[in-house]
Amino acid sequence: MNAPVLSLRNVHKSFDKAHIIRGVDLDLLPGERHAVIGPNGAGKSTLFHLISGQFAPSKGEILFDGHPIQGQTPQKINHLGLARSFQITNIFPRLTVFENLRIAVMQREGLQYTLWKIINRVRPVQEKTESLLERVRLEARRDTPAGELSYSEQRSLEIGMTLASDPKVILLDEPMAGMSKEETHYTISLIRELTKGCSLMIVEHDMDVVFSISDRISVLVYGEVIATGTPDVIRNDCRVREAYLGEEVCACA
Amino acid sequence: MKYVRYLIAIAIILLGVLPAVLSQSLVNAATQMLIAVLFACAFNLLCGQGGMLSFGHAAYFGVGAFATIHAMGDGSVAGLLPTPMLPLAGACAGILVGIGAGWFSTKRSGVYFSMITLALAELLHSLAPHLKGMFGGEAGISGMRSPAWGLSFGTSTQIYYLTLVWVLASLAVLFLFTRTPVGRLTLALRENTHRLRFLGYEVHRLRVLVFVISAMFAGIAGSLQVINNESANYVVFDSHLSTVVVLNSYIGGVNVFLGPALGAAIMTFFGYAVSDLTRSWLLYQGILFVFVMMFLPSGLSGLRQLWLGVRRSLSVSVLVPIVAFSCVAGLMLIGGVIFSVEILQRIFSQDYQSLLVTAGSAAWPSVSLFGCDWPPGSLLTWIVPLVLVIGGSILVKVVKKKFHTLNEATATPDTEIPLPCAAEDLPDINKLHHVERDSA
Amino acid sequence: MEYYVVSLLNGTIYGLLLFMVSAGLTLIFGMMGVLNFAHASFYMVGAYLAYTLQKLLGFWPALVLSTLLVGVIGALVERYFLRRVHKFGHAHELLLTFGISFIIAELIKLIYGNFPVDYRIPKSLDFSAFTIFGASYPAYRLLMGSIALAMFALIYLLLTRTRVGIVVRSAIYKPKMAEALGHNVPMVFMGVFSAGAALAGLAGAVAGAFYTTNPNMALELGIMVFVVVVVGGLGSLEGAMLASLLIGLITSYSVGIDRSLADLCALFGARAWAEGVGGLMTLKISSLAATIPFAFMLIILLVRPSGLLGEKE
Repeated sequence: MNAPVLSLRNVHKSFDKAHIIRGVDLDLLPGERHAVIGPNGAGKSTLFHLISGQFAPSKGEILFDGHPIQGQTPQKINHLGLARSFQITNIFPRLTVFENLRIAVMQREGLQYTLWKIINRVRPVQEKTESLLERVRLEARRDTPAGELSYSEQRSLEIGMTLASDPKVILLDEPMAGMSKEETHYTISLIRELTKGCSLMIVEHDMDVVFSISDRISVLVYGEVIATGTPDVIRNDCRVREAYLGEEVCACA
Repeated sequence: MKYVRYLIAIAIILLGVLPAVLSQSLVNAATQMLIAVLFACAFNLLCGQGGMLSFGHAAYFGVGAFATIHAMGDGSVAGLLPTPMLPLAGACAGILVGIGAGWFSTKRSGVYFSMITLALAELLHSLAPHLKGMFGGEAGISGMRSPAWGLSFGTSTQIYYLTLVWVLASLAVLFLFTRTPVGRLTLALRENTHRLRFLGYEVHRLRVLVFVISAMFAGIAGSLQVINNESANYVVFDSHLSTVVVLNSYIGGVNVFLGPALGAAIMTFFGYAVSDLTRSWLLYQGILFVFVMMFLPSGLSGLRQLWLGVRRSLSVSVLVPIVAFSCVAGLMLIGGVIFSVEILQRIFSQDYQSLLVTAGSAAWPSVSLFGCDWPPGSLLTWIVPLVLVIGGSILVKVVKKKFHTLNEATATPDTEIPLPCAAEDLPDINKLHHVERDSA
Repeated sequence: MEYYVVSLLNGTIYGLLLFMVSAGLTLIFGMMGVLNFAHASFYMVGAYLAYTLQKLLGFWPALVLSTLLVGVIGALVERYFLRRVHKFGHAHELLLTFGISFIIAELIKLIYGNFPVDYRIPKSLDFSAFTIFGASYPAYRLLMGSIALAMFALIYLLLTRTRVGIVVRSAIYKPKMAEALGHNVPMVFMGVFSAGAALAGLAGAVAGAFYTTNPNMALELGIMVFVVVVVGGLGSLEGAMLASLLIGLITSYSVGIDRSLADLCALFGARAWAEGVGGLMTLKISSLAATIPFAFMLIILLVRPSGLLGEKE
């Protein structure tokens, strides 16, 4: 088995007295699509915040490619090759779709402090942005302000921005939340297509999505991972059914 | 967009031939206008593009001014730089102070940023009179322009051209800036710093960078002011200047690159034109600002878009009477406001009040306004402004109603007339503030 | 000793005054998300109204009436200005109040002239409360302090012990939820805005007689209130209280220090160098009294960017 690209070791997080994450161990293998599921309030989003650097864990280690990253700033973690999307759409609403993607692309090209180039003439950035625009299938909306896109288009844009930095690991926080059936189907195919070659960790409530998309699933309940395994294993795990689905079906103590 | 280019070319040519047709004092006023234009554009880089509303931009204008007066020399001592290069001193001072001030103030965003910039400017304002060597105490410092490059720099025309060259060059650079990667990121700073951070950008450093560039151009503007006046006084740090640049920029419209320039030019021009006629120009400026904020959130430059939007669905023949009536209503309202302000100003003036004391219990003497005598005791004096304001308001309501019925009659759901809506057009400082807070 | 005690008293009373203004500002911000730039203008309007009215009615009725009038002005500003631009966002509201503060200052200049007016403590209150170390202490200062304290007690009780207070606090905490529960939130907003304005007006009416009443007083106090709010943390009443008292004390103590940074350097044997540098190094602290609160704010920003009691960012 390959060494995990992202690995959480006994991670804890408390807010004042509330102990949200209680010792999570989790491995993300290279190239796998790993879903994190769990009931509301289980701490899934908090887990993402801890990994992506929005919060620092109270205790424990987060290893990215074998190096500890816990407590680093978001921009530092992003530079290492980890990108995330947000549960609530998080874009630049008054800028055009193209501009949104270009801003995401520019970072990788090292243009953060460049004052002496006209951006339209930086070929690599323009080309990369155009191809990204194509990959997220938003060519037709190129010059529309991002705030005027439909909800699912905004989610596509969000995923596109996450991909712009060619990350090794992508975290997607409920990419399908609030979508219709067709939109969900469309987005699943988009995610499958786009995340080829990188490791994906995804939080999602829609079980159809989770079981169809993921190689492995981890179940988070009250800040603890109670099970990790392939969709089949999880489907048949009685603790999961008990805790997550509220069923008392098995008698395996 | 082609015709915008032609317009700019024509404007530059006009500015070039201006001194040939204007009197000395008008050339001087034009120089002031150019300086105000540059200052407003520097301010707008930070505010309109970067979403950081500074209430203390006079500080950077001021340090530019003082750096220049020190670099200028005073006749006995030779200057550090030849006169045409003096704005470089202002630019350097702007950069240096901008780094310090920007580092502090951009640590916070939203309303905190505004308050900190205000406090920093006040810090300089309260400190400056005590530092004699640097700011010349209460009296200020004077200098003298020395001839350079075969030019005497002794006439207002030469100073005008010097200012014109520097302002046009600065505006060109500021415009090109918007096309650079940092220029694009500046807009992203306004939109969503939280997201920017997760895209791997160092938001604080970017903010400082934008702040410094804005301070640099403000410094150049201050420098040009000193080249024009040959003196600098700590009063330049007064909040008045910071206030006026906010008012001018928003009256012009902060969403368009040249909007603040438009506002600054118009306001400075009017300030000069009416300075002999009224003492209440600042009050009018404030009223105009509040009016713009309430009814025309994208400023004067938003009018063009409004007009284009309206033209799309309504024919000119329908629009002409509406525009005509709006103009009449506007004029009535303006007339009413001006009348009331001026008559109150005269009644409350010291001369009149002392006249009242000497007159004793006799009826209040008349005040003269617009070539007539208006007795404050007479009903007519107060009916005039009242009729103008009420009549104007009624007319506004009528026109508005007419406009709406026309709209409904012609507009299908798809071609609804887009009014300039500030909800999306303006940097929502507080939203950013909350986002920041969420990212704890 | 005398200096310490008197400065302590003066500083505390000035701090209480600052709190009277900053409390309203911070309450309004917490509830509506609006930084009311015109808040200090209400302070100025209070002073000028009291000055005008006391000539006609006497001091105490003028105090009450001007407070009420400023409250009405506040309500009108909220109802007819702020509420109309609410849809454009908070930045817009801030700019609008900025414009209103500008108009108020210009109107005051137009009516009363661009110079201080002769607003004084009434004769009946101009006596010394007690003698301390041979110097008499003005009773009016104590009056200012006690009015401020009485106000807080009243507000505190109102907010914590009454039904109205509970609605107001819930509207501050979760305006949408309070509205869904059937409370008239716009009305609550207007009420709090108006009460905050009235509080500032009262502070102005009381303090204007003691300090000077001039068209710049709004700006001077306004900036100090912003410093208080940045230091204390916006939206936190306790923070505003702490910061107000700190700033009050720092200001009042620094007025009496006749030392300079050069004296500090002398401790390390570097006096000659410091005096050679001149400028800031040789300035006496007392002449920097107006600057020190700003320096204090910068230090706080360095150490605790979110303010003393503000939420962490």
